[in-house]
Amino acid sequence: MYELMTMASMMEDSPNAAKRPNFSAISNSNSNGISKTNSVLMVKSGVAKKLVIKNFREKPKLPEDYHAETWKKLKEAVVAIQSSTPISYCLEELYQAVENMCSYQKASQLYENLREVIEQHVKETVEPYIRGVQDRKIFLKEMEACWQAHCRQMIMIRSIFLYLDRRYVLQTPSIPSIWDMGLELFRKHVIGQQLAQTRTVDGLLMLIESERQGDVVDRLLLKSLLRMLSDLQIYQDVFEHRFLQATDALYTAEGRRLMQELDVPEYLAHVDKRLQEENERVLHYLDGGTRWALIHTVERQLISEHLGSLLAKGLENLLDNNRIQDLSLMYNLFSRVKNGLVELCTHFNSYIKKKGRTIVIDPEKDKSMVQDLLDFKDKMDNIVLTCFQKSEKFVNSVKEAFEHFINQRPNKPAELIAKFVDSKLRMGNKEATEEELERLLDKIMVIFRFIHGKDVFEAFYKKDLAKRLLVGKSASVDAEKSMLSKLKQECGGAFTSKLEGMFKDMELSRDINVAFKQYVANLRTDFDSAIDLTVNILTMGYWPTYPLVEVNLPKEMVQYQEIFNKFYLGKHSGRKLQWQPTLGQCMLKAIFDNGKKELQVSLFQALVLLLFNESEDLSYDDIKTATNIEEGELKRTLQSLACGKARVLMKEPKGKDVTEEDKFKYNLEFTNKLFRVKINQIQMKETNEEQKATEERVFQDRQYQIDAAIVRIMKMRKTLSHQLLVSELYNQLKFPVTPVDLKKRIESLIDRDYMARDKENPKQYNYVA
Amino acid sequence: MKVKIKGWNTVAVWKWLANDDKCGICRAPFDGCCSDCKVPGDDCPLVWGVCSHCFHMHCIMKWLAAQQNQICPMCRQDWQLKSE
Repeated sequence: MYELMTMASMMEDSPNAAKRPNFSAISNSNSNGISKTNSVLMVKSGVAKKLVIKNFREKPKLPEDYHAETWKKLKEAVVAIQSSTPISYCLEELYQAVENMCSYQKASQLYENLREVIEQHVKETVEPYIRGVQDRKIFLKEMEACWQAHCRQMIMIRSIFLYLDRRYVLQTPSIPSIWDMGLELFRKHVIGQQLAQTRTVDGLLMLIESERQGDVVDRLLLKSLLRMLSDLQIYQDVFEHRFLQATDALYTAEGRRLMQELDVPEYLAHVDKRLQEENERVLHYLDGGTRWALIHTVERQLISEHLGSLLAKGLENLLDNNRIQDLSLMYNLFSRVKNGLVELCTHFNSYIKKKGRTIVIDPEKDKSMVQDLLDFKDKMDNIVLTCFQKSEKFVNSVKEAFEHFINQRPNKPAELIAKFVDSKLRMGNKEATEEELERLLDKIMVIFRFIHGKDVFEAFYKKDLAKRLLVGKSASVDAEKSMLSKLKQECGGAFTSKLEGMFKDMELSRDINVAFKQYVANLRTDFDSAIDLTVNILTMGYWPTYPLVEVNLPKEMVQYQEIFNKFYLGKHSGRKLQWQPTLGQCMLKAIFDNGKKELQVSLFQALVLLLFNESEDLSYDDIKTATNIEEGELKRTLQSLACGKARVLMKEPKGKDVTEEDKFKYNLEFTNKLFRVKINQIQMKETNEEQKATEERVFQDRQYQIDAAIVRIMKMRKTLSHQLLVSELYNQLKFPVTPVDLKKRIESLIDRDYMARDKENPKQYNYVA
Repeated sequence: MKVKIKGWNTVAVWKWLANDDKCGICRAPFDGCCSDCKVPGDDCPLVWGVCSHCFHMHCIMKWLAAQQNQICPMCRQDWQLKSE
């Protein structure tokens, strides 16, 4: 009864059947599930009621030749399966037979018999057949067919012998399952034979190779055979190693060849294609475990090996031509190999340095330098953003490179940036809306950040800002303020305090002028108050220093000046005012034959024109004595009035330049289509001298800063070696200095007794209190 | 009259009417401000004593606060503000 039950359950669901023996072993009871329920019941009810199952009293006997007969039947079936002929028995009957054999302790013998039959078949039928196939391509097909047939047969056989597999083989660890036995035999007798193995592997390699050459091959065949190798567990030993070797050799050669033949973008595209192909190969037929080694081989032979020459040959070109896609590809490919990105980054960095240097270093390109820098920065940023995935390493590299090359040429970039900003903030720059201007300023600040000598920038910026403010040429107060706050953010309050002071002066002046107008209105004088006087009061120190010039003003103007003086000093005692005629501007009402005009002129121009109220003809010398304007300035002024676009004076003799023998006359026939005419002062071109003067001032300031830093350090340290002092100085000073400069300052301080050389060690300094 | 001035926009720089370049107390130039201030001008004015010496107001106040006798640090005469 026990056996019947087990059998029945086994037939219903075989997975459970495998577990059943185990269960009974653990529970240490010879009963089935019922006893478990019973024991639970027992505990619950406390009533002991045992269900005992007894064996048959007597085993049923089998006929003597039952084993032999049964085996014959089974063998017949196996052979029929192997030779693909119909089986003459019902499958259930065969299954029953196997089961019976097992029940009567014939399992091990049955297993041995089965093994023999299969081995014989494999060895004597399959192997010779395979050996007989000569053609390489057909061989692979035949091999695959044999393998498939073998598998099919083994599945069938295993199904019939399932009971044996479960009942006997599973419980006997030393022997392989029927399926594994089938594999083992196939491995041993078919593929294990040197010839067959070599031919299979060679054939596979040949197929793959021809696929790599671009031919279409039977991928299913490849897949099936490779699965066979995997199933037989010889994939790695006989195939993978040789496959990788072949791959390596192929791509070594291909890499070398194509590096010569193709240009870099083509080569990269090719590598990309190859990698994709190999990936597909893994997906379609190779064993998944090969992927890493295979891809790695391709990467090594096609990328790593040629890193240096790819970069040297192609990077510059790609960057020059802004080949976004190729650069992205390059980044992606290089990111696959060790050091790829490091190398790329290094080359990228030196490219920027090289290109940047050409922008900065050539004085002939000064005009477009800042715009070029902005464009270049934009381009590089864009490349980092879109091609190099905004990698931090590259972002930093761009910064480092810019900082490096921009400072290759001292001072000039700083000066040109200041000028560039001036041109953008000046009135008449209508090319940009406010937002555009704001964005542009932000970009300029980025460039500015790289500059070491920021004091040079400040000096030039201050000069231009003063001009914009005093001449009223600033396009927008908002833009000015925004630029100022950017500078403050970048360099700190100390840097911008003077610039802020300038704005403050302008605001104060506005208030003062409003008050002054009221003051003048309340003045009861017989004085003809026709002049609308506006004075900008500057605080010394905030503004650039302007040369002191004395000129002769007409009586009327002097009077006005005095009124203002009185007014101002009444409000601010203890001060005096120093007038700056160079920065003055006038609005004149002039009468010509064709009607009245308003002339917008500089103070100097006005002074000259006013002289012609008294007389018709004036010589150069007359004008010079009357106005007391400095010679060069006067010549420029006269030139602007008599030789410029709007000629309100006539010069005798005519000519482009003014000489000391010239005579001048008021031009009554002056015409202009506008009512209000602006007569441009001929700007003294910002000569080299003027630039040098500004630079000189900067250097002067720097010397004081160096001195201060040295004394500060020495006061703290008392004694310090030359080297340490210099290195501390480099830490503290924010502008570029040469060791020679530092030495000079140290010498000077020693001379002035701020410090002294140590008597014993000349390389050491002592602070002198 | 052929030409007449209608408007005049000009520039002047203000300076302290001091009899020295530097403040005798803080040694900073009068064009600048005392060591505690940042902005020259009305926020950091100068004062004159009857003795004709002149200092940053902040400087002389500090000095006087630290002394028992209210004397000018330059000439040791009694310190008195010169009235305007």
